[in-house]
Formats: sequence, C-alpha cells, structure tokens
Amino acid sequence: MNVVIASSSIDGGIGCWDLQTGAEQLRYKTCVSPPHGLASIGCRFLACSQLRDPSATSGHVLYWSWSKPQALVKSFPAEPIKPLAANTEGSYIVGGGSSGDIYFWEVATGRLLKKWHAHYRAVTCLVFSEDDSLLISGSEDGCVRVWSLFMIFDDVRQQQASHLYEYSFTEHTLRVTDIVMGYGGGNAVIVSASEDRTCKVWSLSRGRLLRNVLFPSIIDAITIDPGEHVFYAGSRDGKIYIAALNAESSPTNNYGLHIIGSLTDQSKPVTCLAYSAEGNLLLSGSEDGMIRVWDVKTKNIIRMFRRSKGPVNNILIVKLPYSLSRAESKVQASSRRHEISLQPPLEKYANSSDEDLDNKAIITLPDMIDLPSYLSSQLINDHIKQLQQQGSSAAAEMEVKRLKHDGQRSMEMFQQLKKVYDNLQEFCVNELLNGQPMEGSKGN
Amino acid sequence: MVRSKASSKKQQKKGIDFKKIKRKLGRKLPPPKNATNTEIKSKAIVLPEQSVATNKEGLAVSKKGLTLKELLQQTSHHNAKVRRDALMGIKDLVINHPAELRHHRYAVIEKLRERISDDDKVVREALYQLFKSEIFPGCAEDNQGLFISLLMNYIFNAMTNLAIDIRLMAFKFFDLVVQYYPPCFSLYAEKILQSYEDILRKNQFYLEDKGKLKTTLSGLVRCLSLLPSKKPESEKCVSGDRIIHAFEPDTPTANTGFSTIIKKLKELVLVLINCFQDFIPLLNSMPQLDVLSFDCILSMLQSIDIAVRFFIYGIHEETPESICDQTLSSALSKKLLGVFPLYPKHHLSVKEDDRYFILNVVIAAIFLHLRELVCPSTNVFEKFLEFIENALLGTICSSSRSGKATWEKHIPLLLPFIPKLASELETGWQSRILESFTRTFKDCNPESSLKLACLSMIEEMLIPRGYMHFSKASDTVVLDYQTVWIRELPLLLSLLGDKQPSSSQVVLCLLLRLGQFSGSNPFLFGEYENIQFTLSEFYSTCQEGNLYYGPFMRLPRDCQELSICCLYYFSNLNVLLLKSVTFCCLCSELEPFIFFRIIEVLHAAYKAGHIQIADHISFFMTLLSRFKILPENICPVRESDVKVSNHGTFKSLTTMLSSYLSQIGDSSVVFHIVEKAILGLILLQPPLENACAMLRVLIVLDSKPTRLSEQSIIALSNFLPGYLMDVVHCIPEDDVQTWRYYILPCFFMFDRSSKLLKLVLDVIGSFLTDSNLSLPSDTSTRYATDSLSRINATISLLLLIYKDVKVQKIISSFRTEIGSILQSIASLQSSEVKMTLEERHRFQSSVLEKTFSPCEDGGEQPRGRSSFGGNIEKIQGLANSGGNCLSQILQNCNGIFEREKGVQEFVHYITLLEHHVK
Repeated sequence: MNVVIASSSIDGGIGCWDLQTGAEQLRYKTCVSPPHGLASIGCRFLACSQLRDPSATSGHVLYWSWSKPQALVKSFPAEPIKPLAANTEGSYIVGGGSSGDIYFWEVATGRLLKKWHAHYRAVTCLVFSEDDSLLISGSEDGCVRVWSLFMIFDDVRQQQASHLYEYSFTEHTLRVTDIVMGYGGGNAVIVSASEDRTCKVWSLSRGRLLRNVLFPSIIDAITIDPGEHVFYAGSRDGKIYIAALNAESSPTNNYGLHIIGSLTDQSKPVTCLAYSAEGNLLLSGSEDGMIRVWDVKTKNIIRMFRRSKGPVNNILIVKLPYSLSRAESKVQASSRRHEISLQPPLEKYANSSDEDLDNKAIITLPDMIDLPSYLSSQLINDHIKQLQQQGSSAAAEMEVKRLKHDGQRSMEMFQQLKKVYDNLQEFCVNELLNGQPMEGSKGN
Repeated sequence: MVRSKASSKKQQKKGIDFKKIKRKLGRKLPPPKNATNTEIKSKAIVLPEQSVATNKEGLAVSKKGLTLKELLQQTSHHNAKVRRDALMGIKDLVINHPAELRHHRYAVIEKLRERISDDDKVVREALYQLFKSEIFPGCAEDNQGLFISLLMNYIFNAMTNLAIDIRLMAFKFFDLVVQYYPPCFSLYAEKILQSYEDILRKNQFYLEDKGKLKTTLSGLVRCLSLLPSKKPESEKCVSGDRIIHAFEPDTPTANTGFSTIIKKLKELVLVLINCFQDFIPLLNSMPQLDVLSFDCILSMLQSIDIAVRFFIYGIHEETPESICDQTLSSALSKKLLGVFPLYPKHHLSVKEDDRYFILNVVIAAIFLHLRELVCPSTNVFEKFLEFIENALLGTICSSSRSGKATWEKHIPLLLPFIPKLASELETGWQSRILESFTRTFKDCNPESSLKLACLSMIEEMLIPRGYMHFSKASDTVVLDYQTVWIRELPLLLSLLGDKQPSSSQVVLCLLLRLGQFSGSNPFLFGEYENIQFTLSEFYSTCQEGNLYYGPFMRLPRDCQELSICCLYYFSNLNVLLLKSVTFCCLCSELEPFIFFRIIEVLHAAYKAGHIQIADHISFFMTLLSRFKILPENICPVRESDVKVSNHGTFKSLTTMLSSYLSQIGDSSVVFHIVEKAILGLILLQPPLENACAMLRVLIVLDSKPTRLSEQSIIALSNFLPGYLMDVVHCIPEDDVQTWRYYILPCFFMFDRSSKLLKLVLDVIGSFLTDSNLSLPSDTSTRYATDSLSRINATISLLLLIYKDVKVQKIISSFRTEIGSILQSIASLQSSEVKMTLEERHRFQSSVLEKTFSPCEDGGEQPRGRSSFGGNIEKIQGLANSGGNCLSQILQNCNGIFEREKGVQEFVHYITLLEHHVK
C-alpha cells in the first residue's frame, strides 16, 4: 500500500492518506517540521526533526510508529536539526545542523557515529544516493557538497586528502532549497534548486556543471521523473515548471531556455513535490495546505488531499509493508510496539574515543529482509553478547525455573493421581467389603 | 647573325671534298669607330599558353600561369630562385583558389615538407611564411593529427641538421606547429626536449647570434607552458548544450606520457642554468643590458620557472622531492639563486632598472616555488623576503610611467605566494609582508589587473579552501590586515563605479563568498556586518534631502544580482542599508526584474531571520506608498503609450507583497501591525494607485468579519469617500476592468463591516451640504474638487454600489442614509444661488442619464428590475424635493424612458409624479 505522508511547519500533525483510494489514515500528532525534515526510516517508522524557536540552542527529533498517533521516542541532538535523511534500509539517520555540521547516527543503537563540519552555514537539505554510498548536502551558503561515506569513515585517507568532500559546487549564490539525484549511481546527475531562481544540473562523474536553468521565480522543490526525461520544479509563483533534462526543448518558449511547460492550478507557492512511479503521479504540496495529485500525462489534477491548516512543507510517498497495511491483530500490534519502543533515542555526543576505535562496519548477507545489512560492529557485538548471555546465565535460569515449575506440576499431578488412586482403592475395598457379605448373604 | 655564322661553317665542311678555294688571309680591318653593332642575341621564349598539350583552361593557376602540380615540381628545382618563386607561386595560387589547397593538402604537405631542411635561407623563409599565412590557417579544422605527423619527421630531421641555421629554422617551424596544434608537443615531448637541449648545449653560437637564440627560447617557453598543471581552469558551463548526456569527442589527453619526460626536462633545466650562468659575465662586461640579451635571459628564466612548476605541481607519478635531487637543487641554488639579486653594474638608464627588476621577480618566483625543496639558509631566505617586500612596496622599480607599468605587469607573479608566506612566516616578517601586500592592494589602480590578482589572493587568505587554515587563526596581525581588506572592498566598489563592470563583479563575488563563509568565523562575521555602513553608499546616499544613486543603478544586470545576493548574508540587515536599497527600488529607472529580485531576496533574508519584522514590514509599506507610478494620473493611461507606464509592475508588486505578508505568520498579528502602518500612510492622501494597493493588502490580510479596530474604521470612513469619488471621477465608466480593480477593495471592506459603509455614506452625505461645497479646495478629494463633478461622482458611485449584488444587499439596510444623500442632491438642485441655469441643466441630464442607463440592459431580469425599482425610488425622492424643475426632469425622462422596456414601471412613475405635482 502506498501512502502519502505530509507534514507542515504549523502544528497539525502528520497527515497520511492512501494514494490509491484517497482514504485518510492515521494522523500522527504534534509535529512541526522544517522543510526536508520528515523521513521514513526504512519504511519501519517515521522520523521528523522539529522546528523550534530559531534562537534555541537545541532541537529535537521525534519517532512515530505506523500504528500509533503519539510520538514514541524523543531525541535531543546537540543543536537544532533541520533536514533529515535515512538510507534505504533505515539503518542510519543523517541530520543537518544549523551550524553547518552533519550528524550521522546509527538507528539501532542511537549512537552518533560521526559528526563533521560540512558547510559554513546551516544545512538545508540532505539526500542519499541510490546505493547509499554518497550523501549530498545543500546549504544556506549556496554550496552543494557531495560526500562519500567511505571517505567519511576512513581516517587514513582523510588525513591524506586536503578536504573531506568529493565535490563542492559553489555556483549557487543563495540558499539551496532542494536537491534531487537521478539514477545511475556514480554516473548520475544531481539537480539542485536555489533561491537565486536557478536550478543547476551537475554531473557526479565529472564533477561539473552541465546545465543552468533560469526560472521566472524561486524554486522551492524539485523532483525528477523516472525516465530522467524532465524534472519538475515547484516555484513560488504557484506554478510547477517542467524543465528538460534529456528531452528536446525548443529555444523559443514562454518561460525561458530548457523550460518546456508548466502545470498550473493554484496561485499559492508550491513548497514540496514528490513523484510516484506507480501510475506516473506527481504530488505537490502548497502553501495553502492542499496536496494535489497530478497526472503528468494529461496535466490534470486527479485528486486533492487537504491538511487541516497551515502550509504543507514535506511530502513523502511510502510503501507500507503488507503486514502493516492489514488490520493487525492485537498480538501483532503489541509486538510491534514493543519493537519500536526498543529504538533508543539518538545520542547527543559521540562516544569516548576508545569505543570509536571499534568503528568498523560488518556487512551481512541480505538473507533477512527485515534486518539492515550494514551494522556497526559494536551493534553486532551487542547482539552476540545478548545471545551468549541467553545461552549462559539467563537461559539457564529460565531453564531452572521451567524445570522447577515442571517438577512442581508433576508433583501436583502425582499427588492428584495418588489421591484418585487412593479413592479408587478405598472404593474398591468398600465395594469388596460390602459386596462380599451381600454376596455371602445371598449365597448364604 | 648567329645563324648565318653557323651556315658558313657548314659550307666550310662541305668544301673539303671540293676544290679548295683560296681565300685572302690577313687581318681584318677593325670596324670603324662609328659602326653600329647590329648583333642580336636572343633566348628561347617559353610560351606555355600556346602549347596545345597543356591547355589549362579552367584549371587554377598562379599569376604566372602555373598549376599547383607544376609549382610543386618546381619546389625541388635545383635553382634556389626557382624554388622560392615556386613557393611564392603556391602562396599566390592558394590565396586565389582556397579550394585547391583543401583538395590537395596532403600532396602539398608531402612535397613542401622536403623544403624544411632547404639549404637556402630565402627558401626556408618563404616556406615559413607560406605555412604561417596560408597552409595552417587553411587546414585548421581538418584532421590535424595526421597532417602534423606528416610534417614532424622532417622537422626533427632538420633539427639535427649540421647547419645551425637550418636547425634554428626547424625550431621556428616547430613553434609554428605548436601554435596551431598544441597537443603535438605532448606527442613528441621527449624528442623535442632533447633537440632543445642539444642546441642549447652549443654555447658558442648563442653568444654570437642572440636574435636567433631568442626565437628558439621563446618557442621553448611556449612548449613548456603546455605542460599540464594541477590547477586547470574550471570549465565554464556550456548552458547551450541541448542534451545532457552528450557524446564528448576524445581529444588527445594532454597528460599522456608526461611522466616519462621528467628526466629529460631535468637535463634541460641544467642546461638552461648553465646557459644562464654563461650570460652573467657577459652582463657584467657589457656597458648595458640590451633588449636582445634581456629577452634571452628572461626566456631562460621563464623556462626554468615553468619546468620547476611542473616538477612541483605537475601531474606525474614522481614526488617533487625525488625530482629535485642533489644535482638539480645544488645547481639551482648555486648558479641561479646565488646570483640573486641581479643589479646593473653601471647605473645608466631607468629602463635598465626595470629590466633587472623583471629578471629578479622571475628568479624570486622560482625560489618561492622551490623554497620547501631547497631548504635555503635563513640568510638567503631573508634576502628574498626583503626583495619581495621592496618589490611589493614598489621601491625598487623606477618611478617613471613605464616603470610603473612594468611593476603592475610583473608583480602578480609574486602574489600567489603571499597567502602561503603569510601563514607560515613568523610574526615579524609576516606583518612586513602583509603590510607591503596591503599597500600594494591599496595603491594600485582599481581598474588594473593587479587589483584583480590582489583580490583573488585576499579571497584565498580570507576564505580557506579545504582544510588550509591560518595556523594562528586568532593571530592579531593577520586579523588586523583582514579587517583592512574587508573594509576596503565597499570603497573599491564605489571607486570602480560603473567604469569596469568586470572588476566590480569580481569584488561583488568576493563579498558574496565572504558573506557565505562569514557564518562560521566569528571575527569575519562581525566585520562583514560592519560593511553594511559603507556598502549603503553603493546603492544610494541621501544628503541634505538630496538623493544620490550609487554605482548600483548603472551596473549591468548580473552585477546587480550579485550585489543583491550579498544582502541576504548580513545576519542583521541594518536600517541604513535597507533604506538605501529602498531608494533604489523606488527609482523608476530600475529594471522590474531587479526590482522584484530585491524584494524576493529581502523576503528570503527575513525568513532566515536576518531582517527585523518591523523593518521588513516598513520596507513593504514604503514600497506600496511611495512607488511612483508613471504616468501620474490614471485617466490618460490608455491613450498615451503603454511602454512608459509601470502599472503592470505595480500591480504585480501589490499581489507579491500581499502574498508575502500573508506568509509571514499568524495573519491576525500581522494584520494588526500592517493595519496601523497602512492607516498612518493612507491618511497622508497618497495617489490613488498607492492607496488602492494598500487597501488591497489590507483586505488580503483581513477576514470576515473584519478585524479592523474602531479607530481605523473611523479613519477609513474619512478617507474612503474621497478615494471613491476620485476613482469614479477619474475612470471612465465604460472601463469596467479598471474601476473594479480600484473599487473592489472598498466593497470587500463594506462587506466585512457594515458599520464602515454607514459611516462612509454619512460622510458622502455631508460632502453635499452647502457648506462643504463652498470650500473648493477640500482636502479629502484630489480630483473631484468642484461641486458639480462631486455630485456627479456621488451619483455614479451610488450606481456602482447598486450594480454590485453583494453590496447592494448590504446597502438595502441603509435606506435612510441613501435617502439623505439624495435629499441633499435634490436640495442642491433647488438652491439656484450657486448654479447657473446651464450648469443645472447639464447636471440634471447627467443625473438622469446615469440613473437610468444601467437599466437598459435587462428589463426582464429580476436584478435589473430591482435596481430599476431602486432608481424609481430615487427619482421619486428627487421629484419630491425638487418640484420646480420637474418639467425639465420629465423632458429628460421622456427621452430616456422611450428606450426602456419596463414601460409599466415608467407608467407607475409617471402617475406618481403626477400625483405629487397635484
């Protein structure tokens, strides 16, 4: 089941709708999200950074499980976190701080694995590449940087290199508002939008600017179509422009070079976009609180969702696991809640150095779909330890208890049987004693 | 005579068989002194045109009528003159028939290349000219690789020729080839360097012929400058690309095989150093440094410089340390750096000083490259530092104009080392170097390239790339100079003005980078904030009431955009700067694009928390109230040309601002702030357009029922009547679109607050009393000043109100007010004191026309009928009070009513009137 999830900068909870039927699902409460602050962690649960008073020195991040409207876990990172991203499996969360630092947490343990100074000003958006090996960040200083996670966790290479990033694109003059990545791993293109009214297309393999598209207004959201034919750019003048990537564009048109056309319906600014490959739908969230679903072929609106109030600033399309979409039995629900509550909150600071030495990743074969395949060695160690403990003390204790219990039960059983036997014997004896004289008397 | 002689000889031969004829022997008489020499000598005349076999009709021929084939044959003629002529002929032919060269270029090359090692100097020269002027330009777009490979073997052959002249000429040829096909150097690098090395080893020749040496060396410099270095210029984006994943043709990559030539290059450097050393005694012995030897030395030094740079920064496998081994470093430090600084033995001319200066600068540059590898002694190092300091200060160079020019041209060579020096030196030298650098930066001409070079160095020192930081970031010395540089930037902008937009762009880019970076450095953060005061002059200044626009207004658009982007990064935009930007916005010469861009960026800055909300809103209000609309009044807009009008801009400004204001936050809070501001401004009687815009903003933020406070309702009720009447007065009635635009906001307000409507109606009524009418210059209206037009306006206004369904509903509950207005109109009619007969007539007919014209469109429709009914009532009111002009009214009415469909109502009306008259 594909669901649409939308949050706002004004508290109204996270709305959730079924994309096919349009039926509203559970509404998750108390969420004030900044742009790009909403993330689905491996389709297992939702995480959202929270917008607070800009002068506040710390922010927080909330987790929701799919089945409960209340936030279950609250974390307090060292500084306000705005953009949030998770890798596809949901084993890591990355957050961008307002000082320009990027934080890298492990979900399963909540440990802060890495923190590095990425930008001169606040980070505005974070995107993982398809294969989760690259992280692309945009910042308020107009800089787009590409980070390789291999480099981030490789201390030796870091010392040799003059900088951590793979590429630093500085051509934008104002805040970067959105970044999307195309397909094709290391050869993909990145499209970045900025408040300087441009969208720029970069090549990851060559590390240079491929195309600069100037729009009639500021672009706040972009999304790329699966064929990488065009990209859609939602602008502050309320239009969604269609700009060419590989498509042909005639040099003379209404809007400017490389802009093929537009989708228009509204006068309010478009704040976020999402593309659903199933059915080729384009979803746009707007300042007026509506989420419009467009059929990109016909350029018509086919459905509208309404959030209660306030502008929408995040839309996600999440494929819920089958088991979750069914009405769950109570047993399942309780077990799931149990699982979620196990997620520890994100840590504020990195652990002491001696533990960090143990920072190797262990890759497991993807035999179990539920489990993420990249895990830090410490987590694995913990698991092993747990198993071992279960094998030794805890399990033995349980076993003893069980055996004791069994013994008790057997004793009871024995007693009962004994009693029955006694009764029977008594009965028989009485019967014999009473019957014999009768018989005797009869016989007599 | 020649022939006759021959015949006589024949006769002699014949005569052997025959009888010998005796001839008289003896001396011939000498010819007489006055005899004429009748002997005629002749040569064979070749007339190719006459030959039947070679009919060149339609073939391309040279001036001498030779075809290309013949000419090529002649190039290998044994006579040098013929060869030269043939080459000239080819040139001539190619000029006239360019196609000929294209078709036969390989044949031509194959033949001509043999001439590269021609013995004759003139032929070689002619060949060189031919290649230079015709063949290379003509074959530029072809498959050059093949073309060049055809030539190269012959050039190499010539390079090893015994004759020194041929060798030199070969270098010249090679230079030409490299100019047209740079990759060729990388293909043959090793061989070429070997050849250069060989020729430079022959040291006896260069001391003799410096001219030739000079050309050879300049060729070497050109070749070496093709060596790849690690800092390639960032490729400019080709935004015109049609396709993103386009095929890119494989050009021979420049860095193939360069790692192998390091050894050769090293040998070459050693040879060059020797060469240089040989020149030194020569310099000392010579009375003065002439141009040729200067050029030679300079080329040598430049070659060494490039080679050293390649060793250190080039793309190759070997580390700089392994290249600069003992032999090279000792040779460099002893023979080259040891003689530093060069100075003239005899102080003769100013020019010479400059020449020595240039040489010293190059040597210093080489030294600075090598500094870490050579590990100089402190003594030597200080010698260089002293030179750098003096060079930067300009004390070494002559003070003449040419000296100044030389200085500006060559100092940039030293600048790239300043950041590194500044970060590594200890405090004493650090401050001396930085001081001199700062002096250079301040003193040089703002439009010079030196300034640009300084700026890029400043950028490097202010904004660290990667992880290169100043080791002592908190060092006060560096901070002091950083402060000076940053403060200099806005001043530089004003100095530059609009004279050189490219330089302004560089400065603005630096400012922008600084702004982007300043967030992470508390010191720069403060300094960047402080720029605001000086930067405001860049936009505009206000002195004693006079407004002076800064260079911003005159710069091209991309510079303007950059400077606007700078505004975003001030974490607390101060009022002064905001003011000066606002003045620019209000200037009518500003492009609408830039105008909207400013608003957009400032709003983004507000959203990021960089502008106080009060400042931001007052910025918006100022725009709304003071934006000058051209042409001034509304009426003649449509008649005059539309180009000058900026109504469209203002309209989109209004929508833009209202949407921004509604995004700011909780609308009721924003509304309260804006309400106060707007009412204050509105009472100053702004022009209609501005007032309309403000009302529009107000209604966008307002809700139903209104949030307007009591006070503001009263204030508005004093303002709106005048506004409405002016609008009605100024806009022709058939222009529905326009009056709707102006009146609709008022209707919205009436809809939301009926109290406002009541008050407005009251005020309108009071306008029409005698006492008010007698005051011609009432301040509440701007246009409709005289009483007649005021009454007219009132009537049309009432009609407009009646036309609108929504307001009509509301107004139906204010019959008494309407009645009183009509009453006063009527009473005005009756008072004959102030109106002439003619005036009154005009007035009445206009009243009636206006009253009844709206009914014309629909007698059948209930709406039309109801308004018609309303009109009837009004007329009735009129009739009630103004009985004495009833006849006239009736007269007019007849005309109008005949066109009417609602005859019944007319009849009803007539009866009413009649009844009244009776």
